[in-house]
Amino acid sequence: MLRVYVCLAAFIGVLCLPFAVRFWLGNAGAGDPVERSTDGALTLRIITPHNQDIRRVFEPAFSDWHRKRFGQAVDITYMSPGGTNEIVRYLTDVYGSYRDSSGRLLPEHQVDSGIEIVWGGGDYVFDRVFKPLLKPLTLSRELLDAAFPRTDLAGVPLLDIEPGAASPKWVGIVLSSFGIIHAPEFYEVLGLPAPESWHDLARPELSGLLALADPTKSGSAAFIYMMVLQRAMASAEQVWLLDNPGLASTAAVDLEQLPAYRQALGAGWKSGMRTLLLMAANARYFTDSGSRPCADVGDAESAAGVAIDFYARVFQEQIGKERITYLAPRGATAVTPDPIGVLYGTRGEREVLANRFVEFLLSPEAQRLWNVQGGASPYVARSLRRMPVRRDVYADRSGWADDDNPFEAAAGFNMRQAWMRQLGRLIPIWAASWIDTKPSLDRAYNAILRVADRERRETLLFELSDLPVHLEDVTTNGAPAPEAHERVDPRLRAARERMRWAARFRGHYAELLARAEDSG
Amino acid sequence: MTLRALLDATRDRLLGPRPAHAAVAALVVLFLFFVLIWPLLNVLATGFMTNDGSFTGDYLRLVTSDPVLVRGLLKATTIALATTSVALLLALPLAVILARYEFPGRALFSSLLLVPMVLPPFVGAIGMRLLLARFGPITQILGDPEGLGVDWLGSLRAVGVVAIEALALYPIILLNLQAALANIDPMMERAAANLGATRWTVFWRVTFPLVRPGLFAGCTLVMIWSFTELGTPLMFHVYDVTPVQVFTQITEVDNPLPYALVVVMLACSSLLYVVGKLLFGRTTHVQAGKSASQSAPRRLSGLRGWLAGLPFVMVLALALLPNLSVVLTSLSATGAWYRSLVPREFTSRHYWSALNDQLVMPSMEQGAVQLGAVGNSIVYAGVATLIGVVVALATALIIVRSRVPWRGVVDILSMLPLAVPGLVMAFGYLSLSVQIKRALGPATPFWLDVQQFPVVLLVLAYAARRLPYVVRSAAAGLEQVPQDYERAAANLGASTGRVLRRITLPLIWASVLAGALMAFVFAMLEVSDSLILAQSAEFFPITRAIWELSQRLGDGLYVASALGVWAMVLLTLTLALASLLLGRKLGAMFRV
Repeated sequence: MLRVYVCLAAFIGVLCLPFAVRFWLGNAGAGDPVERSTDGALTLRIITPHNQDIRRVFEPAFSDWHRKRFGQAVDITYMSPGGTNEIVRYLTDVYGSYRDSSGRLLPEHQVDSGIEIVWGGGDYVFDRVFKPLLKPLTLSRELLDAAFPRTDLAGVPLLDIEPGAASPKWVGIVLSSFGIIHAPEFYEVLGLPAPESWHDLARPELSGLLALADPTKSGSAAFIYMMVLQRAMASAEQVWLLDNPGLASTAAVDLEQLPAYRQALGAGWKSGMRTLLLMAANARYFTDSGSRPCADVGDAESAAGVAIDFYARVFQEQIGKERITYLAPRGATAVTPDPIGVLYGTRGEREVLANRFVEFLLSPEAQRLWNVQGGASPYVARSLRRMPVRRDVYADRSGWADDDNPFEAAAGFNMRQAWMRQLGRLIPIWAASWIDTKPSLDRAYNAILRVADRERRETLLFELSDLPVHLEDVTTNGAPAPEAHERVDPRLRAARERMRWAARFRGHYAELLARAEDSG
Repeated sequence: MTLRALLDATRDRLLGPRPAHAAVAALVVLFLFFVLIWPLLNVLATGFMTNDGSFTGDYLRLVTSDPVLVRGLLKATTIALATTSVALLLALPLAVILARYEFPGRALFSSLLLVPMVLPPFVGAIGMRLLLARFGPITQILGDPEGLGVDWLGSLRAVGVVAIEALALYPIILLNLQAALANIDPMMERAAANLGATRWTVFWRVTFPLVRPGLFAGCTLVMIWSFTELGTPLMFHVYDVTPVQVFTQITEVDNPLPYALVVVMLACSSLLYVVGKLLFGRTTHVQAGKSASQSAPRRLSGLRGWLAGLPFVMVLALALLPNLSVVLTSLSATGAWYRSLVPREFTSRHYWSALNDQLVMPSMEQGAVQLGAVGNSIVYAGVATLIGVVVALATALIIVRSRVPWRGVVDILSMLPLAVPGLVMAFGYLSLSVQIKRALGPATPFWLDVQQFPVVLLVLAYAARRLPYVVRSAAAGLEQVPQDYERAAANLGASTGRVLRRITLPLIWASVLAGALMAFVFAMLEVSDSLILAQSAEFFPITRAIWELSQRLGDGLYVASALGVWAMVLLTLTLALASLLLGRKLGAMFRV
């Protein structure tokens, strides 16, 4: 019986161990660098996909800033139902219950989501999803002018101001760039030069060695693929404008009316899609998160991949530059803002506090916290390695972890919002051609790579990458037509459309496989 | 027959001699209906009903005509069959040696063989990621002629899933086989041998048919478990198997497609069960009842004794790899287990990171204690176990002590969670919440809205999923206690409640406690319900937190391993405790 009691005591001990250690360490969280009293603190609720490192930096920093200015500390409750996709789902559900029968949001006094701020997720999601759920910020003109002397970066808006509106609905807080990661040791074994452009990831030597994320699961991955496509379109446009110098100053809307321009743009689009298809054929598999390729490359599971800059930098800091290298392809990377906004239904003192948080984040002292080295500020234990949105703070980068200046890197190329509208249509096409049909794609690709005759191999590779899909398919509804007997069920429409695309691409790969096998 | 007599006879047939027992049985059935049958019916309904409530086969047609989903089903089936085969290959020789021979270290091996069960397969998979890495220790041992390593986690990742699951689940087959072998009357084998049968003939014609039901029980459990396992394929990034496809399709809660897919999965599980039953579970001509005598294991000494221990050493070396790798991963500095047999640098930092993690550990927020995932899990599993113990006691009393005519139904219902995949049950609860929300609209109580407050449904799901363990152990305890004690107390004037409190419960407490402990810990480590139902960080249980941590860039895998080690120690102690309390009856809890 003694053994039972000893075992039972050990069981209870292990069960309680985390509590005991946690409270012994101090229940305010041993990781908090700044001690502060929370007596009489105000409360701010923020929904965000940002990680704990970011949350831990800005909660005490804001609380202290607020106490100094307004005499009261602030407690921030972070809500984190998961990544950006989960937040989109969550907010859509919450605000879904505050809509009238015609789908319009109820008057503001009847709405209370229980959350004041949505922070992070990228400008695309803010523009497409969150914007209707936001209310205008009440920031001073002086602050906006100081933080955003120019409201765009190479054409990409850094804040959202509607024409004629006094205040933006969202403002960017930090910038992200996108690039190529690779494992130098792996490249050495393969005998390849380090990748410098997106197209370098399409080379056949990387077959089965590329780390890519699923664009249906990772918003950042979808953005990167869109960037590859837009780069190709921008190049085609550039060439066409060089050939037609008289039209260089014509507005984009007018250019789009010209068939020759549309044709040139379509060719550029095709070229981008070809690069992407060959990258997909090289993919080891498609991960479900945008950060996973960094881990795969850092662990040398994959030779190369694509990632957001700060994912790569954080990983680099932990395992060393010799294991993973990040490169933003010159003239081919986009720099985009990661915004913040105040949610509809936030009123009175809560609205004031929410706007103060945004004001704090745009202050030079808070902006510097995004990139200072660990220990350089009492709030930053480990550098966040992210790029502030305020141009003026780059003037003094002493104590920063990175020396990059995104305002220089973005020059020359950036994402066009008009072209971004294709993304909704492109994602099911990418999913159908790269992921749903991956086994067929791999079989065809590998068969082609085995073709001995070089010229024949190149031709077949070109044809494989030339998918039966065109720019018009994503600018108009070019999805394969439904079967006559299919009933319209909106909940199934997307799934059926993706299946039909997959069937079309599977046929394409099967044909190429047969031709490759015929070629020996 | 008078009307009175007819009524009495009907009452007896429906309620048995004690209507109070029937009332308790009815309450148990009602509970089981709400926590098991209703959610299951809801899955079926959501998979077959349009938004306006009319029947449709469109969703089912779509999921069965989509080549991607069909491939997922085939792959999940292949993984399940391969896992079961490997687990059987591991368990069969060990069970036979354990049942038939006495050799040095037999008792130690016998208990060590259960150790893989102290690690949920998906936590084992976290540790195995570094062990199986392209330039990890296994590659170092095997050699790396081309310099590109072996892509275990890429092109071979389904093999990794099979290996992890087989190594974690073989003890279930082993326990069932051991029990079946122990129940064989040695006289039958001796009789066959006396009639001139060779050893092989005796095994094939006598022993095998007698252990077939035990074999079926173990294999079915392993097959259904691996067919519906979500955590391990997720950890290995095998996205094209049905459970993961279901998981990743929950983009919106009223999307009918994952439900339709779950219906297909349930049908496939049932098919696997039926096929298994046809192959292994047929009743034998000779009843395999409890044998009147048991053969004493043959003592093997000297070299033969040591040789008998060899298979155990080999299987244990393999089976303990995931446990070992989780421990090593938790102690390795980030990125330091690379191109080396063991980590090049050790650290305890990941344990401190885990202890400082607000998602995982309790903390003070706005003057109130936030439980964190560890605290949440303890509360959820604790309440679920309490509910489970009360229901299981009532169920066991009905099954063992009452003469309620339909107690067989109670028995079958209480065992149903073993046969129904966790993922299906989780979707049942999710669908239940959606249906209630749709019916009640804004008047839906927050505790029934899984998006707002998943705690109630999570606790009920945990209680239902692990009910069989508590029922089995309580029933085993009751069967061992002679009813004469209770009768004597009743004859001396004690009420039913007093007999239960003063006689029955004190006599079976060890069994109930063991069952409760198992239920508690398996609830703590439940994966499917936790991943599907807990969608908001403040309600995350520990398994969901481990999953989230493992996704974190940099040290995530290592911190998740540190938490995994804590879970492993907790489960080891539980198994040890349950083993001390139940002795050899421990295996009974894992039998279908």
